[in-house]
Amino acid sequence: MAKKRLIFTLLYDNGSFMLSRNFRLQKIGDLKWLETNYGFSEVGYSIDELIVLDVSRTPRDRQAFCETLKALTFDCFAPIAAGGGVNSVKEAHDLLRSGADKVVVNTALHTNPDLISKLATEFGRQCIVASLDCKYSDNTYQLVTNNGSETIDLELPQFLAEISSLPVGEIYLNSVDRDGTGNGYDFKLLDCLPKSIEVPVILAGGVGNSKHLAEGLSDHRVDAVATANLLNFMGNGLALARAELINTNFDLPVFIEY
Amino acid sequence: MENKVTIIDYGMGNLWSVASAIKFLGADPVVSHDPIEIANSNCLVLPGVGSFRRAMETIKTNKYDQAIAEALTNSKTKLLGICLGMQLLGASSTEDGVTPGLGLVPNLVTRFSSNNDIKIKIPHIGFSEVKSPKNSSLFANIPDNSCFYFVHSYFMEIANYDVTKSHVATATHGTDFVAAIESGRICGTQFHPEKSQKSGLQLMRNFLERF
Repeated sequence: MAKKRLIFTLLYDNGSFMLSRNFRLQKIGDLKWLETNYGFSEVGYSIDELIVLDVSRTPRDRQAFCETLKALTFDCFAPIAAGGGVNSVKEAHDLLRSGADKVVVNTALHTNPDLISKLATEFGRQCIVASLDCKYSDNTYQLVTNNGSETIDLELPQFLAEISSLPVGEIYLNSVDRDGTGNGYDFKLLDCLPKSIEVPVILAGGVGNSKHLAEGLSDHRVDAVATANLLNFMGNGLALARAELINTNFDLPVFIEY
Repeated sequence: MENKVTIIDYGMGNLWSVASAIKFLGADPVVSHDPIEIANSNCLVLPGVGSFRRAMETIKTNKYDQAIAEALTNSKTKLLGICLGMQLLGASSTEDGVTPGLGLVPNLVTRFSSNNDIKIKIPHIGFSEVKSPKNSSLFANIPDNSCFYFVHSYFMEIANYDVTKSHVATATHGTDFVAAIESGRICGTQFHPEKSQKSGLQLMRNFLERF
């Protein structure tokens, strides 16, 4: 069986890396800041996967994002997923040529389902991560798209009930309400998953510390836990969190030094 | 160490990461879609993610199968297939109907299945422990049960290979499957060594130095 995964998510907006709170973005630093405070050649050894999302609120400069992705992944030998506004096979292809192993899709799941089939034919469904941004309102979870700016006319449980018909390889379940709050994951999101769900589930939104990661890993419905909290794990924060989780017997891979 | 490494570019796969890892190890990666260049190379990497059938179609259309066969007529040529690249080395796959592979190893490729007795997530995504064979050159200096990164829905069956000619490393996801194979100078890994941290880099170093 695959071990559980600890995933770090980077949010990119127009050349900067961002901290997000309920999808409102705060600029933290550029690539140089990231290298100084994280250094992905090293942090790569503390995480099981890196997700990089272009959440630019202004029109995306896709080429610049690809260049940033290349710079980030140059000496980081960990799995990378990338996305943000992907709306064509070409855009997905460019990400996969810039260091990404998987492509994250969000808005296109709803507006362009044909694209999902095309991506699966081209790259295989294991290459596609379905990202769902969920917002609690009127006693249910609404799905929002376009960086949280639009609410679609389908609730999360309904969407998930049909997800097996979409050729995706993973689900990234993110809580807009918990996003950046540091209050921990919203486990009620998991109650919306059909029991028969076949694809792995990544839980995101709300992590403030390693205890929250532990809570996420403890839930049997969760295959991977993600955090996009750019300030709480600086320096060796991710390495410490990982060591703590492994010491408390969570089934994360142990990476050997040579 | 082998200096020039030709990465076969048939339009599918994360060539950037494979090239970065080879560069990091001190060799010189060349990404090529030229059958003549491929045929003349003595160190080949066949990467790939995606559909087996589509990959074989592209490979045949561009005569990369012939180029690989020609390169392998030189007894010094070595080949590493990664992920789908390893599956393509096999006899055939049941992905989108039965599709013949390159047939460089006799193994068959089929899909994981989940049932009530053995419930598994498909695709198999993440790090899993790999049982490495004794006397394997690919796994030299890598401790048994080290973790490597997998992302796949189809797997190569363990049955149907010649134990006298091949070393097979295995992993388990509902069923035991081929995690890596080495048959003479033909090697393959179902996992992504270029995404498997330092153990993956060690394996790639072994491929470059020990074959």
